[in-house]
Amino acid sequence: MIECKGLKKTFQSENGAFEVVKNIDLKVKENEFLVLFGPGQCGKTTILNMIAGLETPSEGIVTVNGKEVHEPGPERGVVYQTISLFPWLTVMGNVEYGPKVRGIPKEKRRATAQHYIDMVGLQGFEKSFPVQLSGGMKQRAGIARAYANNPIVMLMDEPFGALDAQTRYLMQKELERIWEQEKRTVVFVTNNIEEAVYLADRIVVLANRPTQVKAEYKINLPRPRNYVDPEFLRLRMEITDAVDKTL
Amino acid sequence: MIKSQKEKIQRVLAGLFSIGAFLALWQWAVVSTTLGQLMPGPITVITSFIQAFSVPIGTCTIQQHVGWSLSRVMIAYLVAAVVGIGLGVLMGWNPKIEAIFKPLYDIIRPIPPIAWIPLSIVWFGLGEMTKYFLIFLSAFSNITLNAYEGAKSVDPVLMGASRMLGANRTQTLLTVVLPASMPFIFAGLQVAISTSWATVVAAEMVRSTEGVGWVIVSAQDTNDMNQTLVGILAIGIVGFILATIMRGVETRLCKWNKSE
Ligand SMILES: Nc1ncnc2c1ncn2[C@@H]1O[C@H](COP(=O)(O)OP(=O)(O)OP(=O)(O)O)[C@@H](O)[C@H]1O
Ligand SMILES: [Mg+2]
Repeated sequence: MIECKGLKKTFQSENGAFEVVKNIDLKVKENEFLVLFGPGQCGKTTILNMIAGLETPSEGIVTVNGKEVHEPGPERGVVYQTISLFPWLTVMGNVEYGPKVRGIPKEKRRATAQHYIDMVGLQGFEKSFPVQLSGGMKQRAGIARAYANNPIVMLMDEPFGALDAQTRYLMQKELERIWEQEKRTVVFVTNNIEEAVYLADRIVVLANRPTQVKAEYKINLPRPRNYVDPEFLRLRMEITDAVDKTL
Repeated sequence: MIKSQKEKIQRVLAGLFSIGAFLALWQWAVVSTTLGQLMPGPITVITSFIQAFSVPIGTCTIQQHVGWSLSRVMIAYLVAAVVGIGLGVLMGWNPKIEAIFKPLYDIIRPIPPIAWIPLSIVWFGLGEMTKYFLIFLSAFSNITLNAYEGAKSVDPVLMGASRMLGANRTQTLLTVVLPASMPFIFAGLQVAISTSWATVVAAEMVRSTEGVGWVIVSAQDTNDMNQTLVGILAIGIVGFILATIMRGVETRLCKWNKSE
């Protein structure tokens, strides 16, 4: 479970303080798929980085399962907006990186890594280097790498933002399947409403800078969802209208 | 970037053609102009070069001279590589280490190695140590600078990813900063092998009893143009081979950096 209390983030720049995140209160239940929806540049990555421990909040605290977050740690898995695979390692090398630096013996970590490589559908590409993979395959490897540490929570920052439309749909379905298979508490950032409605148990809509929570939607549609189901389309429309008004 | 076999052959042929044309022009100039009174032609030089494998110049055959020079380069170059990569990567990675060492390094870097000759003779005498020291200096500054630039330019997202996956700071340094800097480090190592090879010649010209640099100074002392050119030929060929080997090693170790 993730809890953010009174999160604020102000960056110091040449023209004074720059308030990016203003007062975020957020609770994510165990195994809940939470989508943070917000316009570009509104501070989504900053919020995620504070939960990850990569960025220190100016005010407020983050706890994961009751433990305060102060630095990066392997119980929080991250899938990034930009490609963040280690380019000098193969797919296997990337996926087993986490268990390796944590001192898991070779045989055990190989088995874990192989399990997740299979789960994301990359079997046969274990020895490929990232440059040899397509965009979608890179993000599959990124998801497997995050899973291989068996994290409590998964933080995903627009992981499909750079993919073409076709691949993006495919990856949404794949992520849904993977998550159903091995549930985790997820915070997933996107600026695509369709993607949000497809994946989320709950959508939190952020208002533009300084960022705060504007609205929340519970999505109770059965999974896997259908992009053209009337109820799906109705929700998509409703959220789109609400978002348009906040901008 | 896989080149077709045909393209490769064409490239080699073009290279051989220009070398052949150069040698022909040289031979012609020696035979038909007054250049012939100053220096021998390529046929004479290449014949002497081949003879030098069995007939010693001074106390050593040409391959022994090359061996002496190469061993001097290798010892000093390896030390420079270890020190340079270590210092460069650490400076690029840690702002405190950078603040301490970078200013000193920036002052030493622009001084050409040969400017250190008088001081190094005072410090280390005329023996091997002075040669090692000069070669070390000539390799060290390029290797350090490139390693530093490499470590500076590591994508912070990759360092964050490594920390999120459970790596401590030392592990991040060894498993992310160092490999990410490799293409830069190799660029430095490549330049440095050439400057080291050039410097060993200069160092041996100061004082030595063997080595390719000695081949040239001893020829100067006896006014033997043919021997000078044999020395130059040996230096050129070995320099070319060293650069080619380095490029091969880089292609193997940094293949992740190039798309197919
Ligand atoms: N380290 C920093 N120093 C100063 N300003 C920063 C820093 N990090 C982010 N910002 C600024 O904070 C704002 C929000 O950035 P952030 O990356 O969190 O937004 P985002 O919603 O993730 O954007 P995008 O849609 O592009 O992913 C931006 O204007 C950015 O320039
Ligand atoms: Mg972002």
